[in-house]
Amino acid sequence: MPVADSVTVRNTVAYAIEQAESAAREGQQQVSLHLVAVASTRAVDPDAQTELGQAKDLLDRIEVWLDEDLGADPPSNLDIELGVIGADRYLFSPGDYADAILAYADEHSIERVVLDPEFNPGGTTPMLRPLEVELVRGDIEVETAPVERPARSTALARAATLPKYLAIFGASYLFYLLLSSYKPLDFLTGAITATIVTALLAPIAFSRQPSLTRIPRQVARFAMYVPYLLKEIAIANLEIAYVVLHPSLPIDPKMVELEAAIWGDGAVTTLANSITLTPGTLTVSVSERAFDIHSLTGSAREDLFDGGLERAVRFVFYGREAAAIPSPRERGQGDDDGTVEGDISDPEVADDD
Amino acid sequence: MTPLEWGIVALALVGAFFAGVASIGIVRLPDVYTRAHAASKSDTLGAVLGIAAAALAIQTDLATIKAVFLLTFMFLTNPTAAHAIARAAQDQGIEPWTAGDEEGKS
Repeated sequence: MPVADSVTVRNTVAYAIEQAESAAREGQQQVSLHLVAVASTRAVDPDAQTELGQAKDLLDRIEVWLDEDLGADPPSNLDIELGVIGADRYLFSPGDYADAILAYADEHSIERVVLDPEFNPGGTTPMLRPLEVELVRGDIEVETAPVERPARSTALARAATLPKYLAIFGASYLFYLLLSSYKPLDFLTGAITATIVTALLAPIAFSRQPSLTRIPRQVARFAMYVPYLLKEIAIANLEIAYVVLHPSLPIDPKMVELEAAIWGDGAVTTLANSITLTPGTLTVSVSERAFDIHSLTGSAREDLFDGGLERAVRFVFYGREAAAIPSPRERGQGDDDGTVEGDISDPEVADDD
Repeated sequence: MTPLEWGIVALALVGAFFAGVASIGIVRLPDVYTRAHAASKSDTLGAVLGIAAAALAIQTDLATIKAVFLLTFMFLTNPTAAHAIARAAQDQGIEPWTAGDEEGKS
């Protein structure tokens, strides 16, 4: 069972232990239960220390739960192992997670994977269903633990919390006052308006808890990103102007596919929009991390696969360390002949994920 | 003319130039995808430079702030619209034009 911190991890662990225990009591053969935390960054990265620390914390807690659940008299043919997997590579997509889990299962001849219904190591993006689909590839039984979940809000509306209320109230009040004429009445009407906006939007405005440390940092990094983006836009616009005004119209349009090393709704949206804004490239469709991009000229494609924008977006959302991930070209994408235009021109294929 | 006025004129002219490039691009480029390029980007830059010129020219605090918001929203919404158009085209199964196709066929 892969474990990650979630509201239901406790119950899922209990379920897995119960299953393993009853299997061990029924039969004579050895039953082993492996509880593994899946690390998404490589152990050599600066971020990984925090992540590994959290994983160790979780495993420590699980060990306590094991003692509670198994009681004083555990069956002798049941052995339980705790571990961390995936610390030797980057895991981004559900597919990557599935690969890591399947490889581990293969190695230890595990027959069955129990999933926590709230298993979501990727952060904001829902993970479970694609992960299940990917796991089915392997020759292994996959089961989502039938545990009670706390009432779960839909993907759009989430429980509003005080930090969310404060963040939205502050932002909308500020916005109102900026556009007002700074009379005393404006402060009153602004407060009323901001209250209404907050009541309406607080449940849907954030996908994660706003944090006083993360958001200012992201905003600051975004402020550093904007001049870079403007510069790229200006340069690339001149190129496009040259191409469009050139008598022989020297264009070489092509569809290319980019598998971006980013994760999360905000980052993907920002990258897609930035790609579109940078002339010469136009995001046509996005599914998960795969971008279909229409490029107008060869040099625009070069820039795209050099990964400057992708790196910058990673810097904005995940910080400096993440910017060091290799560019798309170094990851083996974007051969000079424009890669995979063949199967992209067929929308049936391109949209199939 | 003051330097500020020169700046306003320069911004407006460059903006008009890129808006013109966008229009010419829409006429000259061969298919829906390449035209979306011209319509989304050169046009964004043209409009944004125009608004920036206006912001400098008006020079009252409030209107300038509003103009800056306008700039921001242009940058956010224009690529989204272009993406929607290109995606719709892809869903319709329109093949992108490539340099190998007949010249002049559109």
